[in-house]
Amino acid sequence: MKHVRIHLVVNGEDYSLFITPNRVLLDVLREDLELTGTKEGCGLGKCGACTVLLDGRPVHACLTLALQADGCQITTIEGIGEKEVHPLQEAFIDKGAIQCGFCTPGMINTAKALLDANANPSEDEIKQAIAGNLCRCTGYNKIVDAIHSCGCQSEKEKGEVR
Amino acid sequence: MRIRPFDFKAAVSLQDALIQLDQSGPDAKVLAGGTDLVLNMKKKKILPSTVISLHSIKNLEYVEEKNGMIHIGAMAKHADLAINPILEKEVSILCQAVGLIGSWQVRNIGTIGGNLCNASPAADSAPPLLALDASVVIATLKGDKIIPITSFFCGPAQTIIKSNEILKEILIKKPVNPSAGCYLKLRRRKAVDISLAGVAFQAETDPTGKRIGQVKIALGGVAPTPIRVPDAETCLTGLCIDDAFEKIALCAQKAARASKPIDDVRATADYKSTIVNVFVQRCAQHVLTTLKNQRGKS
Amino acid sequence: MSQLDIVGKSFPQIAAREKATGETKFVTDLVLPRMLCGQVLRSPYPHAKIISIDTAKAAALPGVKAVVTFQDTPKIKFGPRSEDWTIFASDKTRFHGDEVAAVAAVDADIAEQALELIRVEYKELPYIISPLDAMKQGAPLVHEDKPGNIGAEFKVEAGDVDRAMDDSYVVYEDHFYTNQVYQAYMEPMSALADVDLSGRVSIWTGTQIPNMMRMTYAKALGMSPDNLRIVVPEYGGAFGGKMENNIHLIAAVLAQKSGRPVKLVNTRHDDFLAGNPRVPMHFDIKIGATQDGILTAKDVKVVGAAGARLVYSQVIVATACYRVDSLYRLKNVRAKGYTVYTNSVPTACFRGFGNSQSTFVLESALDELAIQLKIDPAELRIKNGMGSNETSVHGWKIGSSGLRECVTKASKAANWSQKKNNKTPFKGIGLACCNHVSGNRPFAREFDGGSGIVRVGKDGRITVFHGESDMGQGQNTTFAQIVAERLGVTMDMVNVAQVDTDISPFGLGSFATRGTLMGGNGVLAAAKDAYDQMADIAADMLNTKAADVACRKAMFFSKSSSETKISFQDIASEATIRHHGAPIVGTGFYKPPTELPDPDTKKGNISPAYPFGCQIAEVEVDPDTGQVSVTNFVAAHDVGRAINPMATVGQIQGGIAQGLGWTLMENMAYEDGKMINADFVDYIVPSCFDIPDIKAILVEPIEPNGPYGAKGIGEPALNPTMAAITNAIYDATGVRIKELPVNPQKLLAQIQKLGKHVKE
Repeated sequence: MKHVRIHLVVNGEDYSLFITPNRVLLDVLREDLELTGTKEGCGLGKCGACTVLLDGRPVHACLTLALQADGCQITTIEGIGEKEVHPLQEAFIDKGAIQCGFCTPGMINTAKALLDANANPSEDEIKQAIAGNLCRCTGYNKIVDAIHSCGCQSEKEKGEVR
Repeated sequence: MRIRPFDFKAAVSLQDALIQLDQSGPDAKVLAGGTDLVLNMKKKKILPSTVISLHSIKNLEYVEEKNGMIHIGAMAKHADLAINPILEKEVSILCQAVGLIGSWQVRNIGTIGGNLCNASPAADSAPPLLALDASVVIATLKGDKIIPITSFFCGPAQTIIKSNEILKEILIKKPVNPSAGCYLKLRRRKAVDISLAGVAFQAETDPTGKRIGQVKIALGGVAPTPIRVPDAETCLTGLCIDDAFEKIALCAQKAARASKPIDDVRATADYKSTIVNVFVQRCAQHVLTTLKNQRGKS
Repeated sequence: MSQLDIVGKSFPQIAAREKATGETKFVTDLVLPRMLCGQVLRSPYPHAKIISIDTAKAAALPGVKAVVTFQDTPKIKFGPRSEDWTIFASDKTRFHGDEVAAVAAVDADIAEQALELIRVEYKELPYIISPLDAMKQGAPLVHEDKPGNIGAEFKVEAGDVDRAMDDSYVVYEDHFYTNQVYQAYMEPMSALADVDLSGRVSIWTGTQIPNMMRMTYAKALGMSPDNLRIVVPEYGGAFGGKMENNIHLIAAVLAQKSGRPVKLVNTRHDDFLAGNPRVPMHFDIKIGATQDGILTAKDVKVVGAAGARLVYSQVIVATACYRVDSLYRLKNVRAKGYTVYTNSVPTACFRGFGNSQSTFVLESALDELAIQLKIDPAELRIKNGMGSNETSVHGWKIGSSGLRECVTKASKAANWSQKKNNKTPFKGIGLACCNHVSGNRPFAREFDGGSGIVRVGKDGRITVFHGESDMGQGQNTTFAQIVAERLGVTMDMVNVAQVDTDISPFGLGSFATRGTLMGGNGVLAAAKDAYDQMADIAADMLNTKAADVACRKAMFFSKSSSETKISFQDIASEATIRHHGAPIVGTGFYKPPTELPDPDTKKGNISPAYPFGCQIAEVEVDPDTGQVSVTNFVAAHDVGRAINPMATVGQIQGGIAQGLGWTLMENMAYEDGKMINADFVDYIVPSCFDIPDIKAILVEPIEPNGPYGAKGIGEPALNPTMAAITNAIYDATGVRIKELPVNPQKLLAQIQKLGKHVKE
């Protein structure tokens, strides 16, 4: 199998990689770039644990060939809140939205893309966004809460805890 | 889970893709979003020698309106189509349906062309396109050909497209009279599931706005391919909107009778038929009420 | 108890920041130099004789470093409870997914290809999946030495059941079935194994029971437990599913044969096929009550499917037979349990451990009694519920019980009475209660306690060592809070060490809702020891006696003159100088006041503390499709003192979500003896849309045996969920659900049969 060269911009850094075409983005991120924050929960695009942002849009890294991302901007969990913890991450931490944490990177990536597109999402819009991110620990209540608290509502509303 | 080795070719134009495809032999595959192809390659259900990607081809993601026709590029993504203003205004049933495909992650990369060519009997984009009487434009080395979508699907994972052809565009005739549509799908949970049975119901009034000019009903997941149910459609065609309400039950019965579902791990055949009946009724109720209200407003 | 500074307050998990930023190294993220990728070849048949295995081609594939089968193992029979396991199938495979061979290769691509090159010749054998069929005469035998496929039997009887049943005003009798469901933790089972030059094996894996696993695996590998080291990094959930499993041993065998580290990560498909899902059970229940609604007698027969080998199913069936008897003041009870081998995946622990199955059955039956007696179901529970300082029919000493308060508070919050009495078509409300344990004495038999080590470093920072397991529920944070509270330091002063059997104290592990109470008491004892050691040194430094020394806000001082204050750092520094570098190491253990049940009567006191709960669900049923939507949920749980209320609420919400999935959508389906939905495409778990707002109410009677008054919450969070929902479905439709999960088609048929179907 011939190797091909691809260029990825991952979390703002340029990478030029020489890979075989049969590699999915998830494996390249985890194995070649050692960005293990992106998780494999099912490998078939059904759990959302591998969610990364491809040109700002959440996709399953496990179902995306690395070649499909050639020339694209990719954001992984390592690229969110690099210098200091992002408010979204802060909210997940403070609201108890993290238990085992295996779904968390994918969940935060999806939520980040939502908030970038819609600064003040409703509860229903939040659920629409994260419906493909499975969490088996929390029952989702606190996750929805955490994302909701990051929308730009009044401070009073933000203080509401379910 | 790994993918077996294959050769990768990034086509730079549709013509280039056709040539490469022609040269690569019958087991070559065209890559659009990959949400089905890559999954099946991982499961070793599809083992292509060559994968030809359409990603580098510019401008296959459009939605345009020209001379009463809506043109949708095959590489348009579900997430974009779900909120496209032209589609929302003219054929909102398609927006509803593609908005229910998979997860946001899938809709962000999955394409309408890919969804159709994958030819799952349960594909969510198919029933609304059938109910809209859409056509597809297939690019071949000898030039484009236009095929009505009703003759596009041949069986599970089978379409009329030959191994050296590529789906290029979807064509939908813009409704000229007041119209409305509704898509409902049966799911095992409230979001992100394969359609166990899907019902697309699209109706357009006659020029007076009082009668049902045409009604088209299509079903997904209840036959080897998505199907239209003409017997059910006839029950309502030509009726005054107010009278049509009384024929909904009959229409739904006929649709259910025309469905040929199978038992599987997801649901029994009987249940799927029952649901077709229920969903046709609900769709019809919704669409007729919408048309009635539209008339009231105008 | 004086005012608490740390315990009782909500803190984020101490690992939350790492988890939120993707920094956490989960088991599947670990890498060692020259590490190989392991993969397992599994039986494609439910029951088949192995005629031959040819691994030559696989072994010859470049990049393959080891291929192993039964022949490469010590061929020892072993098992956590019953020694019916081998690391690979020897003469025959016993379930679809049974381990046949494995490879280790330089990468996953080569490992996958190598598996395809292994040629196995099978002869298919007749198989059985249903435990009821398996008990019939002439059924194929899963193990030739187990006649009737009976893996274990359990019997318990107290009082005079027949007479009490005869004297009852009403008797309800029915058959129920609870199905096989999968834990669906987000990180699949995985292991990284390495062997050193002396042959000592290290396994990094997400396990709930590192210490017990070590003993089981040492036997399997034919080595001394001291030659085996289990390390538990952060891992992605377990819910009972991550106990012993062959994949860890296969990783070890591959590492032994290849001489290189081997990481083996289950594909999700493999995890479905060969994980350890919930024990499916058939119940025949008979229960009586007086006209006033006082429960008179309960008689139950339980048949549970063990699958192809016993993991913990026999203990789980036993639990299903009798744990629930201590929820109410039952006096006359009888149960018979059969754990039956079948040709399915070996079943085991899943949140609730048999008590969730039997709680579904009992609480459904109580709903029926309430209807027959025209008593409010909430009142029926309050009338019969166990109270504090009562002893149950099996001798369980209920130190504290908040059961009645749970029922009252949940009812009030859910607006129960009003909603129950004002019927809206196809909307319903249902209630169910539960009890549980905080540790289960008969599980390990010899003892059931906890221990800890608390080290004070030279910089005054605290490191806590324990032998339990944080599977993601936040146990490390709970332990840190307990230790911080005892020592009077802030949370940022406390670290909790990764469990490593080379270093950590012994702990039975995280199951039976025991972590907070057993492990918590263990680290509390160690913290006290560390405190006493520091007080001694502080006394010296302050020129006073230890009894005169007090500590506030991490500063020691003399009670008689509080002007001079000495910090932890000063003391720790002084201690290491005095002890030639040795830090302060506090150790301690907790011996719970439990009694091992008598082998015949089963009388004993199996746990130091018993949590209780009451959940109320509201549902809407679509009368045309039979689909059920849970629209609201209230859960009041007696948790003793909640060490960390936010984490406790998180447990409750998560448990309910799992129970909801079980009730409405989850089922491992078999066709021709094979699991046909072994992936997340067709094994559906709840999405965020399926889970309603869950209002959690913490009822906090101070438990005398708990650390700072705490009990456990992990399993009770789920125990009543199924019946709360199905009782609500009854309220909405008049249909009694007797089989999980609720099948919309069957529910629809029953609704139509009852004539409640209203055509539009």
